[in-house]
Amino acid sequence: MGDKFDLVIVGGGTAGWMCAAACAAKLDPARFRVRLVESEEIGTVGVGEATLPQMKDFNDFLGLDEVEFMKATQASFKLGIEFVNWGRRGDRYIHPFGTFGRPIGEADFFSYWIRAHRAGTAAPLFDYCFPIVTALQNRFMLPNGDGNDVRSAFAYAYHLDAFLYARYLRAWAEARGIERVEGRIVAVEKDGESGDIAAVTLASGAQVAGDLFVDCSGFRSLLLGTALGVELEDWSHWLPCDSAQAVPSARSDDFTPYTRSTRRKAGWQWCIPLQHRTGNGYVYSSADISDDEAAATLLANLDGEPLADPRVLRFKAGKRHQAWAKNCIAMGLAGGFLEPLESTSIYLVQMAIMHLLTLMPDGAAIDPALPAEFNRVMDVEYDRIRDFLILHYVANEADAPLWQRVTAIDLPDTLAGKIDRFRHRGHVQAYRDGLFGPPSWQAVFVGQGIVPRAADRLADALPADLLDERLAKLAATIADAAATVPSHADFIARYCPAPAP
Amino acid sequence: MTNAVQQVVVHGGGVAAAMAALAIARAFGRLGTQVSWVDTGEAPAPHAALVAPPDIATFHRLLGLDDAALIGGAAATISMGQQFAGWSGGDSAFVHAYGDAGSPFASLPFVQHWTRARQAGLRVALEDFSLAAAAAKQGRTGAPRDAATRQAVKQGWNLDAAGYARLLRDLCDGAGVRWMPGTAVVPRPGGGRIEQIDLASGEPLRADLFIDADGALVAALDPDAAARRPGFCDRLIRGSAPAFDPVPLYSRVTAHAAGWLSLIPLADRTAVEFAYDSTLLSDADARGLLAAAAGRPLETGVPMPVGAAARLRPWVGNVVAVGRAAGDAPMLDGGELLLLQLAIAQLVLLWPIDGAAMPEADIYNEEMAGAWARVTDFTAQHFRLNARDGEPFWNAARAASVSTELAAKIDLFAARGMFAHFNHEAHVEDSWALVMAGHGVVPRSFDPQALLTDDEALMAEFQRQLRAVASDVHAMETHADALRRMRG
Repeated sequence: MGDKFDLVIVGGGTAGWMCAAACAAKLDPARFRVRLVESEEIGTVGVGEATLPQMKDFNDFLGLDEVEFMKATQASFKLGIEFVNWGRRGDRYIHPFGTFGRPIGEADFFSYWIRAHRAGTAAPLFDYCFPIVTALQNRFMLPNGDGNDVRSAFAYAYHLDAFLYARYLRAWAEARGIERVEGRIVAVEKDGESGDIAAVTLASGAQVAGDLFVDCSGFRSLLLGTALGVELEDWSHWLPCDSAQAVPSARSDDFTPYTRSTRRKAGWQWCIPLQHRTGNGYVYSSADISDDEAAATLLANLDGEPLADPRVLRFKAGKRHQAWAKNCIAMGLAGGFLEPLESTSIYLVQMAIMHLLTLMPDGAAIDPALPAEFNRVMDVEYDRIRDFLILHYVANEADAPLWQRVTAIDLPDTLAGKIDRFRHRGHVQAYRDGLFGPPSWQAVFVGQGIVPRAADRLADALPADLLDERLAKLAATIADAAATVPSHADFIARYCPAPAP
Repeated sequence: MTNAVQQVVVHGGGVAAAMAALAIARAFGRLGTQVSWVDTGEAPAPHAALVAPPDIATFHRLLGLDDAALIGGAAATISMGQQFAGWSGGDSAFVHAYGDAGSPFASLPFVQHWTRARQAGLRVALEDFSLAAAAAKQGRTGAPRDAATRQAVKQGWNLDAAGYARLLRDLCDGAGVRWMPGTAVVPRPGGGRIEQIDLASGEPLRADLFIDADGALVAALDPDAAARRPGFCDRLIRGSAPAFDPVPLYSRVTAHAAGWLSLIPLADRTAVEFAYDSTLLSDADARGLLAAAAGRPLETGVPMPVGAAARLRPWVGNVVAVGRAAGDAPMLDGGELLLLQLAIAQLVLLWPIDGAAMPEADIYNEEMAGAWARVTDFTAQHFRLNARDGEPFWNAARAASVSTELAAKIDLFAARGMFAHFNHEAHVEDSWALVMAGHGVVPRSFDPQALLTDDEALMAEFQRQLRAVASDVHAMETHADALRRMRG
C-alpha cells in the first residue's frame, strides 16, 4: 500500500457506514485506503430513526437514488415533529421544516402575525404553514418547485430503519472499494512517543494499523474516550433523561408524515412511522420512574400491537471535550449524545463527515489548524442543539417532579436571556452556522405557550384591514393547496413501496 | 402602544447624524415618530473621502439616495475594490476586488483547485481568476450579459465626504426631519437615562430616544467605557490632487516605512490620505512625503490625531452612539461607512418597543460588538500579514496581537484554504481569500476531494476560466460610460 493514506473506521453502525460511504464517494482510491472494522457479534443501536432534511443533501452528495433508498430502508416522509402535551397537557403543535407565512410587507411575516394575534384577528400561527396543515391531514407531496406556489416552500426528511440504512450503505460502500474487516476489537495500540493511535487489535490477534482513525464505536467510545481518555462534557444537569426503552409496533392506520413526541411524567415518548412498522420509545429520567413502570407506560401507549419486548438503553447527555484528538475523530454516539427529541443524531454524524472530508489531513503529520477548526464547528453544532433541546424542557408546566426540576434550572449563558427577548418582541437571533433558525424557535416558543408581547414596529406601517385581509387570504390559499395533496400512505405506495420484511 | 417612542433627537453633525436622522425618519415617520436633528455643525474634514462598501447600495435604497444623486452631488466614482501596494515590500500589489475569486468547480470552491495547482507549480495569482479584479485593473465595470464566468461583480463607491453629507442633509428636509443648530448642548442625565438636553439658548429639548453622533450624550451616561485596539498610526494628513484620467475603478493603499498612503479617485479630484506614526515621522516630513508620494500637485490640510478605541456599549439607557461617538472605525477597507451603515440598520431593526424601558440595548450591543470585532479583524489582517521585513513600524504591526478569531482564520486559510466563520461576518469568503492570497499566503494543503479531478481536466478548466474572464471583461463598459449611464 506504500504511501497511501490509511483511514480506519472503527464500528459499523449508521455512523460508520455513512462515513465509509462518503469516503468511497469522495476520496481518490489511488491515495486513500479506507477500511471499516466491525464485528457481527456487536449489535447496533438501530431503532426507527427520524431525520432532518439535511439527510437528503447527504444522500444527494453520495448520489443515492431516493426511491431505491426509501425502499431499502422502509422509509416514510417527515414534514416535522408533533409535540403533544409540551407546554401544557393537552396542547399540541408541529415544529415544521419550513417557515411560517410568506412575505406580506416590509417586516417579516412573524412580526405581522404577532401584531394580528395581539389584536385578536389572527388564526393560530400554525395555520399559516403549508407543511403543517398538510401533515395534520396525513397528506404528503414533494415540493413542486414553483416559487409562487405555497406547495414549494418546505423541506422534508425521512423516517427510516437506521439498521437497514447502515446495511444499504455497507453494500454501496463495499461495491466502491471500501474494505470491511470482520473482528471484535480487544485492544488499542498507541504510539509510545506521540500518543497517537497506531493500530487496533482484533480478537483473532490481527492488527489493523492506520494513519487516521474514525471512532464510530457507539457509546463505548473505544478510541477517543477509552484509549485517548477524552472525557465527556456532562450536560445531564440540563438534560436529565438517562434511559430509554424502545419497542416496535405494528403499523397503525394513522400513517403520519411526521414524528410524534408526547411529553410524559418522567420524559417523553417517540412515535416514528415506517412503512413496515412503527418505532416507539420512552426517553426518561431513571430518577423519576422505574424501568418497569417506563416499559408499562410505553406499552400502554402504542398505536398498534407491540412486535417485541422493550429494549433498555442507557446514556448521558453531553459531548466529548474534543471530537478530534490526536489522530482520532469520533462521530455519532462515540462523540456525544443528545436525546433524539429533535432528530439530530444522523445530522450530527453527517456534519462530522462533511467537515472531516474537507479537513482531511494530507499526511501522517496533522496540521493543528485542521482539528482546531473541526472541533470548533462541531462544538457550535452541539451547543446550538443543546440549547434548543433545553428550551423544550424549560417551557413547560411544572406538573411532575422531573418537570419541576427542569423548569427551575440555571440555563446555559447562551440560552439565558433568549426567552425574555422573545417574550418582549419576538426576537430570535439568526446564526450563520448550526441548526435551528428563527422559524424553529418561533414554532417551539409559540407552540409551548410563550407568545411575544409586541412586534417589530415596522409591522405597524401596514393598515390593519389590509393586514387582516392578507392573512385571511394566505390561510385560505394554504388550506386550498393542502386539499389537493395525496395521502401520505398513497404517495408512498405509488412512489417507493418497500417489500414486506 | 402606550409608551411608544414618539420623540427622537439626533445630536451631532456630518455624515453619521444626517444618515441616522434620515433612516429613522423614513422608517418610522409614518408611525408618527418626530425626528429632530440638533446639528453641532461638525462637518467632514477638508479633503476627506469615503470608501463605500458594495452592500451600501441596499442601504441607499432605504435612504432614498439614488446613484445619479451620488454622482452629481458627491463626485462619486465606482469602486470595484481596493489595491494594496508594497505591503510585501517592493512593487508587490494585489486587488481586493468585490466579487468572486474564481468560479467554483467540481462542487468545490475555486481556491481549493488553485491551491492544488500552486503546489504543482502554477504561478498565476488567485486574482487573475477573479472577473471583478481583472475588470477593475482594465478599467471595465458593470455586469456583462450572459457572463461566461458566471461570477458576481459588485460595486461600491468612492465618495467626497462633504458632498455626501450635503446629500443626506438635503434628503432629511424632504423626510420631515426637524433641523436645528445646536452647539454646546447640555445633557440632563438621571436614572441611567437622558430625559432632556438643554440647548445653548437654554431651551430644553425632551426625547424618548437620543441618537448621539457627537459623543457628549453617551459620555454623560457612560464616561469612559471604551476598549482600545492596536491602531498603528496616530496621525492622518489629508490632501487633494488633480483627478486621474481615466478615473480608476479602485482606490490604492500603499505601504510606507512609517504608515500608509491612500489614493481615492473621485470625479473631480483625487483624495490623498497619509496615516503615519508620529514617533517615526514628524508632521513636516509627513507633509513632504505626502506631496512626493502623490507625485502631482497637491493641496493639503492639517495633520489630525486618529484614535483606535471603540465603546463597549454604544447603546446606554435611551442613548445610542453612532459613528465617531461609537468608536474609531478601522481606517481601511471602508470600515467607517460599513460600520455606520450596520449600526443604523441594526437600530432600525431593533427599534425599541417601549420608550420607558429598552431591553433592546443589550441585543444591539451584542450585535454591534460582533460586527465591530469582525470588521476590525478584516483590517487587522493586512498588518498581521505584511511582509515588509526589517522596518520597525511593520515588524511591530506584524507582531501586534490579534483576536483569537482572526488568528483562527489565518491559521485555517494557511493550512487548508478554508474559512473559519463566526457570527457577524461582514466580509464574504472570497474577499478574505483575495486579501490573504494577495498578502502572499498560499495554503499548505487542500481539500482531498479536489483530487477527483485529474490534472488535464484541471488545466483545461483553468484555461477556460482565464479565457472567460478575458471575454467577460471585454464585454463590460468603461468607467466613464457606466457613470454616464447611471447619471441618466
